[in-house]
Amino acid sequence: MICGHCKQRPANVTVTQVQNDQKVERYYCEICAAQFHPFQFEVSEEPVSIQQFISNWMNFLPASTTKEIKQATEKKTTNCPTCGLTYRQFLKQGKFGCENCYETFNAQLPQLLERIQAGTKHVGFKEQTISIEKIKHQIETLREQLQQAIVAEYFEDAAKIRDEIRLLESKVYSGGEGQL
Amino acid sequence: MNIEHFLTNANPGWMKNEDGSDIVISTRIRLARNIAGTRFPNSFTEEEAQGIEDQVMNALFSIEQNPYHFSYFPIKDMPQLQRQILVEKHLISPNLAKRKKIGSVFITEDEAFSIMVNEEDHIRIQCLACGMHIEDAFEKARKIDRYLSRHITYAYQERYGYLTSCPTNVGTGLRASVMLHLPALTVTKQMNALIQMMTRLGMVVRGIYGEGSENLGSVYQISNQITLGKSELDILQELRDVVEQVIRKEKSARKALLIRAPSTLEDRLSRSLGTLKYAKILTSEEAASCLSNVRLGVSLGLLEPISQSRLNECMLLIQPGFIQQYVGTTLQPAERDMYRAKLLQDKLSEQDESVNNGEKGEDSI
Ligand SMILES: [Zn+2]
Ligand SMILES: [Zn+2]
Repeated sequence: MICGHCKQRPANVTVTQVQNDQKVERYYCEICAAQFHPFQFEVSEEPVSIQQFISNWMNFLPASTTKEIKQATEKKTTNCPTCGLTYRQFLKQGKFGCENCYETFNAQLPQLLERIQAGTKHVGFKEQTISIEKIKHQIETLREQLQQAIVAEYFEDAAKIRDEIRLLESKVYSGGEGQL
Repeated sequence: MNIEHFLTNANPGWMKNEDGSDIVISTRIRLARNIAGTRFPNSFTEEEAQGIEDQVMNALFSIEQNPYHFSYFPIKDMPQLQRQILVEKHLISPNLAKRKKIGSVFITEDEAFSIMVNEEDHIRIQCLACGMHIEDAFEKARKIDRYLSRHITYAYQERYGYLTSCPTNVGTGLRASVMLHLPALTVTKQMNALIQMMTRLGMVVRGIYGEGSENLGSVYQISNQITLGKSELDILQELRDVVEQVIRKEKSARKALLIRAPSTLEDRLSRSLGTLKYAKILTSEEAASCLSNVRLGVSLGLLEPISQSRLNECMLLIQPGFIQQYVGTTLQPAERDMYRAKLLQDKLSEQDESVNNGEKGEDSI
């Protein structure tokens, strides 16, 4: 077959296009095909994908263990309440859907992490989960709520909000250097 | 800073600091982070994606105590060629480049810092440095990380550390990579054994131009595999130890080559320079291998001096996206090979002129 575009070189690339819901196949030579689809990425993915990793791991395990894992995951098909992922789906795609997956699959995680990591516990830098800036921001929103409560004459609510603000303020301003 | 700045510049600011390291080309640090309370990119909605972008944008463009000047580019607005060039420059991942709607990147003018938003994780902070600067690049990336953490609450747990979509990144979220030029170890066929050794030590080794081209240009990227159960500083130290060991092996392999086959070596390296200077058609494979030989020849003092940064620039330029950007049009592979040869000659003769001028200047004084 001869290339449908230059009508010179032999066609060795098939390009399938969908036009008006109909599949149309066209045959081009390498040079013309590259002209129509010039950006084949010649650069590769990030280091070793977990898909590869986990499927390798499954293959390395003796058949009985693999079966056990399958049975175990089939038996309790817990879905992550936030993203709906099951452990089975996770093993397939190698990625969690949300931070709560780490809670949801807490029972299975150590077994997995032991194989792909150096341990099952974070020993690196600790994140200060509450920062001064965030508390200040919180105080600001609370002050707005306080104003609204006073305007609407919800004095009980206002008192509660005021106490909350005081508590937060004491956290921010008692910490010496401003650090909690 | 508009996108053209990043597309046409094959010699970004971060590549200009030369420190005379002829084996280590560059260092890259990457930190993976997610924002608490929003699902990860593989399961979130478009609204959630927008929310993440807004949060990162607010933080990075906030005027208050912000030492950074980032430019922002949503991926969906970029034509294919632009995306490809950012991939070739290692500023975005191939994964992000494929996106139709979601995802964006923030880049500083010198390209030392880039932040991918809504790739596999909500936030990927990257810091690039020339030569071997593992700890330094890490400190810089961590500074941005700390800056962001003042505006954003990360998904973080006491037990598992920074929570990431993929459990291979959980914990520190840290991936540190060093790019090495190892021609002597490659030509003496020691790399396979060495890669096995490094893998056993918990490292990942890849070629720079991608898999399947493992030793194209004899450039390898070594990164840590482990992110959980070790501290950041231990991870960096272990990488440094492995890299230093590899550098020693490369140096002794070079010495051995010089002793065993000096004239064959000089001939081979000189021929490569000749090819780069006079060839009219160059595939990317041939260009990469000639550049590798020339880099080796320059560092052994067998060839005329060419700066490391010039050679690094050439390594970027030989990639298909760059060539097409330079020429200003899409090219067929055969045409690319012709322009590649021309581009390299232009680049190398620029260098020759500046070296000659320097000499003349000294004479006239
Ligand atoms: Zn044709
Ligand atoms: Zn989930």
